[in-house]
Amino acid sequence: MAFDPQREDYQRLGIRFAQSLHKSDARNAARTFATFGRRFAQDRDSLPQTDSDRAFHLVVLATRAIDYELPFATDLKAAQIIEDGHRMLDEAIALDPHCYDAIRMKAAATNPSFDAFLGFLNERQEEVRAWCEGERARIPLDEPDERYRLLADLAMRPYVRWVAAQAEEALICGRNKEALRLSHMLLELDPHDVADVRFTAAYAYAKLEDQQGLEALVSSNHAAGRLRPPDDAWTQLARLAIHFKRHDPSAAEAVLDALLASYPHAAEALIRQNELPDGVFSRLAVIPYSEDEIILAISEGMVLLQEGVEPQGHGVLGEWVSGMAAKRRPQALLAVLAQQSQQNDSGEDR
Amino acid sequence: MNAQEELVRRLALKRKQKLDPLSDEAFAELELAVRQNPLGFVDDDEEQAFSLIVKALATFEESVRDDDLRDDAQYVAERKRRLDALAATCQQALLLDENCLDAALIAELAVDRPQNELFERLFELEARAQDRLGALEAGVTGDAWTNVFLRPRLRLQAAFARTCINTARFRMAVDTCTSLLATAPLDALGARFTCALAMVRLEDEDGFNWLDAREGRHGNAWFHLSRVILMYKLGRMSAARRALRGFDRLCVGGAYLLLQPTYVDVYLPDRPSFVPNSFEETMLAVHEADPIIADIPDFALWASSQPDFLASAQDYCARNGFEWRSWDE
Repeated sequence: MAFDPQREDYQRLGIRFAQSLHKSDARNAARTFATFGRRFAQDRDSLPQTDSDRAFHLVVLATRAIDYELPFATDLKAAQIIEDGHRMLDEAIALDPHCYDAIRMKAAATNPSFDAFLGFLNERQEEVRAWCEGERARIPLDEPDERYRLLADLAMRPYVRWVAAQAEEALICGRNKEALRLSHMLLELDPHDVADVRFTAAYAYAKLEDQQGLEALVSSNHAAGRLRPPDDAWTQLARLAIHFKRHDPSAAEAVLDALLASYPHAAEALIRQNELPDGVFSRLAVIPYSEDEIILAISEGMVLLQEGVEPQGHGVLGEWVSGMAAKRRPQALLAVLAQQSQQNDSGEDR
Repeated sequence: MNAQEELVRRLALKRKQKLDPLSDEAFAELELAVRQNPLGFVDDDEEQAFSLIVKALATFEESVRDDDLRDDAQYVAERKRRLDALAATCQQALLLDENCLDAALIAELAVDRPQNELFERLFELEARAQDRLGALEAGVTGDAWTNVFLRPRLRLQAAFARTCINTARFRMAVDTCTSLLATAPLDALGARFTCALAMVRLEDEDGFNWLDAREGRHGNAWFHLSRVILMYKLGRMSAARRALRGFDRLCVGGAYLLLQPTYVDVYLPDRPSFVPNSFEETMLAVHEADPIIADIPDFALWASSQPDFLASAQDYCARNGFEWRSWDE
């Protein structure tokens, strides 16, 4: 599912709006609420909101710029996007000094190394937890159940994203046990796993070549109410890596075939293996089983694919996966090669 | 690999079998005679093949010795020539004795090929040896290494374990090394060093402590470096800093080699011998740890930002007349 910042923005203001309506006048409230959607889209400032809501809206705008526009921008535009993004984050923090999403995103961009960013996240984790729990405790107890649940959920989200980022960063830094500790802590806090931190955990288990751990994680999904079956790209790549590392090529091939079956566009992505910048707000929100999702899982899977001594640059597992995908889908290989030569040509023209 | 010594021992033992019973004194004399003229005692294809390998390795070593005098182009050309020559002799040896494991192993190692391909070939080689000879056993002395005829198999497994590390198969590396340590506890080949690296990559603290205790906790470059990596990965940063200081203080050139990785060519067929506590020891340890260090992207950055570490590295560099290469280049 991942986090959709725009949806969260909508939910925040929606609740604020509902809270502002007179409780006794139910019929009128329904009619007034009908105008909310239009006002949210066209006249946001006319809606009741706090500084923390305004700050979150700036986070949404910064996310749209940095996570969703920047990767496709030309060099010239990129500098402007980065500058705008930072300005919006600064403004968010000025409006709300506890806007931990903005604080985290700002730190992601300014810390000199993965290690330093992880250190920053570790240092302030407790502070973020305490603040978010405080926010949750401040929700009036007389709120209707459903609204209370949503408010409580929204209050904790900055912390959930904080810990999910910690886990991902620990994985990148080669601290796999730490990544697992953080993932399990988060799964306990949020059994439904809005953050999809179990995907990060799956890779950490694969890094530790812990097949039992991975399968225990997978089988805990159902009991915890996580409904998505374990045929997502992360779980499958983790399984594939473990089979490969145990030298069970036929099992690894079987997983690869399953992956190609559940993701119609997997072959090209598996041959190409592009590394994308991580989303700074959270893992990018993409449609399950889409081409984007497999690209994302592969990019995060670089920790598995690129390991080992391999002069070709793909890494040992990466080479194997790329070669095997090309063998299974020769058309996809041709498409990738055609695209690469086209890129080379246009590169020479410049 | 002390190939010449092994050849002498093999030939003396084979001749002894024909002459038995032989007193200890007589055997000592026989060994002396073999040492003076080994080829005069070769009387089967197996030893003929092995002696070819011994000679080829000596020739190879001679060429390596002069590498310092060669410029880059000369080095590349000479390296290719001597590897080709070595591989060709291995093929000759295999014609004489298709079961000559050392010839087969060196023939695989002497060809530049992707590590995963090498892994597959060594895996096959070991599987075939297993079919033919059964599982490796410690034997009556409790250490397979004391049987000179089993050494090629031990070398194959040690090389396989290193290839496991290079292909990111760390559990397999650990399994191979622990089985080697069970059959050859004296561990003349230093499989425990490979094992230490694989264990810390898997963040297996219990395993590493077991290995460290087995070593009497007085470690060497592999153990010191492994401890730094383990503490770093487990996020115990003050222990990691202490271990890093220890690594720099106890391992010659430690800081320098960690920040300025040095090129080490393929092992043929096993880890080159080194003087304990030497620069070479540290160099080999850092080289073997390279794929594991590459997996912790900020490790070198962290190390170089520790007090005095960079200065220690640059100081070692200057004192020994090496050239300091900047990271940006």
